[in-house]
Amino acid sequence: MEAIPDERKLVILCVDDEQIALLVRQRVLEKAGYEVIPANSVDQALEILAARSVDLILTDLLMPGKTGDELANEAKVRCPETPVVVISGVNEKPEGLSARLFLNKLEGPAYLCEKLREVLLESEKLHLSGRQNPTVSACVPGTH
Amino acid sequence: MSTNGQNPIEKQKQRGEPMGTDQKVNILLVDDQPAKLLSYEAILGELGENLIKAASGTEALEHLLKNNIAVVLTDVSMPGIDGFQLADMMRQHPRFQKTAILFISAIHLSDVDRIKGYERGAVDYISVPVVPEVLRAKVSVFAELHRKRLELEHLNRELEQRVADRTEELRERADLLDLASEAIMVRDMDGRLRFWNSGAEALYGWKREEIVGRNIHEVLATKFPVPFGKIELSLRETGRWEGNLMQRTRDGQEITVACRKALKTDKAGSPLAILEISRDMTATLRAEQGLRNAEKLAAMGRVAGIIAHEINNPLEAILNIFHLLRGHISLDAEAQEYSQMAEQELLRVAHIVKHTLSFYREAQQPVAVSVSEALDNVIELQFRNIQLQGVSLEKRYRTEATVQGFPGELRQVFMNLIGNAIQAMPKGGRLRVSAREHVDSRTGNKGVTVSVCDTGYGVKPEHAKQLFEPFFTTKSTKGTGLGLWISKGIIQKYDGSIQFRTFHHPNGPTTCFRVLIPGQVSAERLNAHIAYSASR
Repeated sequence: MEAIPDERKLVILCVDDEQIALLVRQRVLEKAGYEVIPANSVDQALEILAARSVDLILTDLLMPGKTGDELANEAKVRCPETPVVVISGVNEKPEGLSARLFLNKLEGPAYLCEKLREVLLESEKLHLSGRQNPTVSACVPGTH
Repeated sequence: MSTNGQNPIEKQKQRGEPMGTDQKVNILLVDDQPAKLLSYEAILGELGENLIKAASGTEALEHLLKNNIAVVLTDVSMPGIDGFQLADMMRQHPRFQKTAILFISAIHLSDVDRIKGYERGAVDYISVPVVPEVLRAKVSVFAELHRKRLELEHLNRELEQRVADRTEELRERADLLDLASEAIMVRDMDGRLRFWNSGAEALYGWKREEIVGRNIHEVLATKFPVPFGKIELSLRETGRWEGNLMQRTRDGQEITVACRKALKTDKAGSPLAILEISRDMTATLRAEQGLRNAEKLAAMGRVAGIIAHEINNPLEAILNIFHLLRGHISLDAEAQEYSQMAEQELLRVAHIVKHTLSFYREAQQPVAVSVSEALDNVIELQFRNIQLQGVSLEKRYRTEATVQGFPGELRQVFMNLIGNAIQAMPKGGRLRVSAREHVDSRTGNKGVTVSVCDTGYGVKPEHAKQLFEPFFTTKSTKGTGLGLWISKGIIQKYDGSIQFRTFHHPNGPTTCFRVLIPGQVSAERLNAHIAYSASR
């Protein structure tokens, strides 16, 4: 995937409990032109969300502690504008998932980047026209 | 065998009916002269019977009608109805035909002759003057006779009742035997059938009249689980045997029955017959087998799911790593090539894991899937292989019908069948893919039948049974052994069926896989989480 022609890099909060998986996914996304904030757990991700806003949340589904879907539910309350994409080793999308999109890990990096780009376009975070300051809603508890 | 152990006499007592031996009988004394009546009463008093007096023939008739009279003692000459007229009247009445009559008469020859005329029944006479001992003796004999007759009548009635009861009991028992769904049969010691109930007719298809008298285990081609000698030994020693038998029905079907045998002996202990009760276990055993398979497959499905998930996580990381490596500036041309090869192989692994270890479902709700479109998608994917191997393709789509389902699942089934067919023809051959409408003859429901036929290796008979089992493969290391198993699981979820046949021709075998997919299946069933359902 080509780098995004925006001057400001879009920020992705990437959540996975597996260190190596998280690191390489981070690198893949960075190579695709995103700024990536890694988090090892949902709790850590929520802490980050309390402190700053992001353009997209990409999270693993099954993790120790809270699941990716719980994060999606929480994000819906805190920052409803921010799309949540769940990526999982589970082949079947679980019933009643609240995330915007469900991706299979085995689809590979190219597919992942393509889908994320689509989601960002859809949620108007990404504007190919090259807007300087995309509206980013603050992701602080209670402000929605 | 009476259902209650009472003897008839006890039974009579309970019913409160008159009884023979210790019951007083009624003796009717008829005379127009009260003095004579008194004297008879005195003479007969010591007999201990009931004495009823009548002063005329008319009065006597009244008593006869009211009471059960054992003996009538009557004077011959009376005003009004005389003794003979009374006797005539009694003889005409069925109830009194057997009542004993004792005439008292002066000996006139004419009287004696007339008395002799009453040949039927108990009739006697006593001449005057009456000798008390003679009168007593004669009345006593008649009274006793009456008592015996009563007793006999009671016994007779009792006997008739018992016969009726027993007949009813037997009839009920026969009805019960026919009501039983078990096959019940009796055979003699030579194996010849003597009894065969409706249950046996239903189970084996042989009518009673067709099979009685024949050697039963020969007709049914019985296979015993142990040598017959052992069964006979058990019958002789314990009188019982039970076990499962394999038998054939009239139309040649093989069935398994749970059989219980009992030996019937005569009083001396020598064997008379063998009673057998058999219950059809075929469906039960098949269901049990199916259940065991289902459990096995469900467990396998769970394990497969876990493995898939555990493999997917590191696999994604490696996929990402090779993605990052690709075009990395520090790699020389050779390293670039290796890295690309590794990435290619890895993509294959990912593909296998995704498509074999669990179902991939892209839609949440079943949609109308065009069968011909799904087939074309698969053929397009396989087109390169078809061309490379010199396989000639023939498509025969005779329906535009759709089925309710998940396109990915159906494509997976078709991909499996078409892929197998192509792989079976490495040196070329003919591949025929056809689709036509199917109407269920029973329900009238519409569906689609898809056939995939190839002229490849064919299916070896010894492989036929295992073909749909997990991890069974004829492609050694190339196959996962899961394709047909998964396909069958999917098709069963759609309430459909998958079958195959190999046709043998002089120039090689043709193998056809046929899939029947009903047009409508409930969404609940399609969404069922137990995707790896087993044979139902």
